[in-house]
Amino acid sequence: MIGSLTSTDHKRIALNLGLMSLFYFVLGGCFALMIRTQLAVPGGTFLSDQKYNEIFTMHGSTMIYLFVTPMSLALALYLVPLQIGARAVAAPRVALTGFWMWIFGGLIMQSGWLSTGGPGQDGWFSYAPLSSGTYTPGWGMDMWVLGVDLAALGMILIAVSVALTIARHRAPGMTTLRMPVFTWTALVSVLMVIAAFPMLVVVMSLLFIDRHGAHIFVNFQGSVDYQNLFWFFGHPVVYVMFFPYLGCAAEAVAANAHKRWFGYMAFVLSMMSFSVLSVSVWGHHMFVTGGVTNQYFAFTSTLLIVPAGIEYFDLIGTLLGGAIVMRTAMLFALGFFVQFLIGGASGIWTASPVLDYHAYGSYFVVAHFHYTLFAGSVFGFFAGVYHWFPKVTGARLREGLGKVHFVLLLIGTNATFFPQLILGYDGMPRRIANYPTHPGWQLLNDISSVGAGIIAVGVAVFLANLVVSLRRREAAGDDPWEGQTLEWWTTSPPPRFNFERPLPPITSYAPLLDLRERAAELAERAQEAQPRGAEV
Amino acid sequence: MPRAPPREKRLSPFALVNNRGIYSWLFSFYAPIGIGVVVLYTLIIVVAVLVYRRRKVPNRVHEAHRLELSYVVVLICMATGLLYLTYTAEHKVDDAQAYERPALSIDVTGARWEWLFHYPRYRITNESGAVGRQPLVVPVNEPIAFHISSDDVIHSFWIPEIRFKRDAMPHHTETVDLTFSRRGTFSGSCAEFCGLLHADMVFTVHVLSDSAFRTWAASGGKAAPWRTAS
Repeated sequence: MIGSLTSTDHKRIALNLGLMSLFYFVLGGCFALMIRTQLAVPGGTFLSDQKYNEIFTMHGSTMIYLFVTPMSLALALYLVPLQIGARAVAAPRVALTGFWMWIFGGLIMQSGWLSTGGPGQDGWFSYAPLSSGTYTPGWGMDMWVLGVDLAALGMILIAVSVALTIARHRAPGMTTLRMPVFTWTALVSVLMVIAAFPMLVVVMSLLFIDRHGAHIFVNFQGSVDYQNLFWFFGHPVVYVMFFPYLGCAAEAVAANAHKRWFGYMAFVLSMMSFSVLSVSVWGHHMFVTGGVTNQYFAFTSTLLIVPAGIEYFDLIGTLLGGAIVMRTAMLFALGFFVQFLIGGASGIWTASPVLDYHAYGSYFVVAHFHYTLFAGSVFGFFAGVYHWFPKVTGARLREGLGKVHFVLLLIGTNATFFPQLILGYDGMPRRIANYPTHPGWQLLNDISSVGAGIIAVGVAVFLANLVVSLRRREAAGDDPWEGQTLEWWTTSPPPRFNFERPLPPITSYAPLLDLRERAAELAERAQEAQPRGAEV
Repeated sequence: MPRAPPREKRLSPFALVNNRGIYSWLFSFYAPIGIGVVVLYTLIIVVAVLVYRRRKVPNRVHEAHRLELSYVVVLICMATGLLYLTYTAEHKVDDAQAYERPALSIDVTGARWEWLFHYPRYRITNESGAVGRQPLVVPVNEPIAFHISSDDVIHSFWIPEIRFKRDAMPHHTETVDLTFSRRGTFSGSCAEFCGLLHADMVFTVHVLSDSAFRTWAASGGKAAPWRTAS
C-alpha cells in the first residue's frame, strides 16, 4: 500500500490520481443530487439557504479542481509515456510531489466541512469582494482558498513532468508530428496548465492575504481585477478539462472505425490555435461588468468556431469509409461529439455580448457548461475508460453493462441539462436556493431533477461494471481492439518500464496500423504474385 | 461616452434603441444557425455511422488538404458573419443608447439582499428583496437612465423581459439607458451570487402607460395604477 503511494512509476501515480479523482466525481455527484432535490419544488426546504450555497460551491469546486482537471492530467500521465514509447516519465518525483500536493489540497478544501461557518460558499470562482474576510469570514473559506492553491500547485508539477517527458523521452523515430492524437491533446493541455495555473496560484494567494486584512480586491477596480486574474486561469482551464477527453474520444473513434484519425495536420494546428485563443478569451466571462472591451473578447471567442469546426470535419472524415464497430467506447465517443455540439453552439451564443447580457448568470450558462463538461468531457472520459481499461488492468469491461451505462447517461444528461437551457432563457438565475412559482419552471426543474437521478443510476451501473469486470475477469490480451498506437504494443497491464520487447518502427502517428497495413499489402502482393508464378 | 447635443427640441425624449427588439433581431439569426449546425452535424455523424457500420475493409483516406482548407474558409466566413451581426447589435445597445436623452433617471442600488430604486426627480424610494416587495415602476417606450451601483459585493441587475442585465459593482456607478417596449408586469432578479439570501433579491417591474406612470409618480409612489389597468 505504502509502496503504491510512494511509487515513482508514472502509471502508479496516474492510477492513484485517477482513482482519487473518481472518488471526487462521486462525491461531487452526491452534491449535485442534493442540489437537484432542493430544486425539485419551488421554495424547496430540503436544504437551508446557507447549506445550499455550500453544496453548490463544493459541487463546482470538487468537480473542477478535484475531478475533471486532475483526471485529464491522470490520463495524460498514464498514457503519454506509453504512446510515445518512453520507459518512464521525466522528473517522476516532481509528478509524485505534485500528486501529494493535490491530495492535500483536496483534503484541505473538504476539511472546511468541519468548520461551524461551513466550507467554501462563494461558488467555484468565489468573486471578491464577496469572498473577502468581510463578507465570508471563517476558516472554512480559508481552507477552500488554501486547498485550491495547493491543488493548483500540485497540478502544475504533474503537468511539468508530462511536458518534460514529451520534450525529452520520445522513442527514436517519434517526431512531434508522429505523436498520437491523444498525446497532442495532452501536450497542449499541460502547456496550458503551465501557462495559466500560476495565475490561479497568484490570485488565490492574494485572496488569502486579502481575507486577512490586506483588502486588495476592493471597489470596482478590485472586483474587476479579481475577475481578470481569475478568468485568465479560468478559461484556459476549461480547455484543460476538454482536450484530453477529446483525445480519448478521437482515439476511440479511430480504433473502432479501423481507420487512422483523419486530417492529422489540421487537427494539430487546430489544437495549437485553440490553445492560443484560449488565453485570449477570458473577458467573455465579464461582458456584464462594464469593465472589459466586449468587442475584443467577442471576436476571439467567436473565432473558436474555426478550430472546433475542424475537429468535427476530422471526425466525419474518420467515420466515412471506416469499418465501424459499435463498442461502448465508440458510443461514448460519439456521444461526446454530438452532445458537445450543443455545448459549443451555446458557447458561441454566449460569446455574443448582446445575447450574453441575457444569458449571463442564468441557467442557460449552467446548461451550456454542463453540456461541455458533462455531456462532453465526462462522455469522453468514459470513452477513454472503456477503451483503455483492458490496457490498464488486463481485463475488459462488460459490454452489456457498458451499453446500459451509456443509454442511462445519455437520457439522464439530456433530461437534466436541456430543460436548463429553457429555464435560463426564461429568466431563472443560477445559484438560487429557491425559485418562485413561475409558469413552467417547476415542470422543467422536475425533468432536470429526474434526469439527475437517471445519471446517478447510470454512474452506479458503471461502478458495478468496474467491480464485476475486476472480480470475474475476461482476459483482454495485449491489443483487444486492433489499437493503432504504441500502448497496444506492450503487455496489459504494462510492465514497470513500459516495454519489454523492442518497439516497432515509428512511421506515423498510428505505427501499429502502419504495420498491419503493410502486412496486408504484402499478403496482397504475395497473392497476386502466386498465380503469375504458376503460369511461368 | 459624451452625450451628443440634441438636434432639435422635443417635448418627449425618444428611444433610439429597443433592447428586447435588438435581442430578438440577433436571436433570429443565431438561433436558426445554432440549431441548424447542431442538427446538420448530428445527422451527418449518425448517417455516417449507420452506413459504415460493420463494413469489412476500411478505406485509407486520411487527408484532403484542399477540402480542409476550403472548409476552414467557410468557418472563417461564418465567424465573420456572426461577428458582423453581433457588432451591429452591440453598437446599438452599448453605444447608440448613450445618445438618447432620457428625461427619467432611476438610481438602482444593490445591497445584501435588497434592491433600492430611487427616483431623484420624484423623491420616491422603493425597496425590494429580503426587506420588502415594492416594485420598480417605469413608463413604456421611453428611455430611462439607470444608474446602477452596489453598496457591498457584486450584484447583477437583471430584467429578463428586456433581455438585459448589468453588474452592480461595489462603490461604482454604471449608467445604462434602457427602454421597455411592452406594458405589463414582469420580474427581475439578481444574477450574480451575493451570499446567503441571493435568491431573495427579486423584484417586480411594472411597465405603465405614460399617464399611469405620471399618476403613480405624482402620488409619491403610493398609487397602484397597475391594479386597475390590468
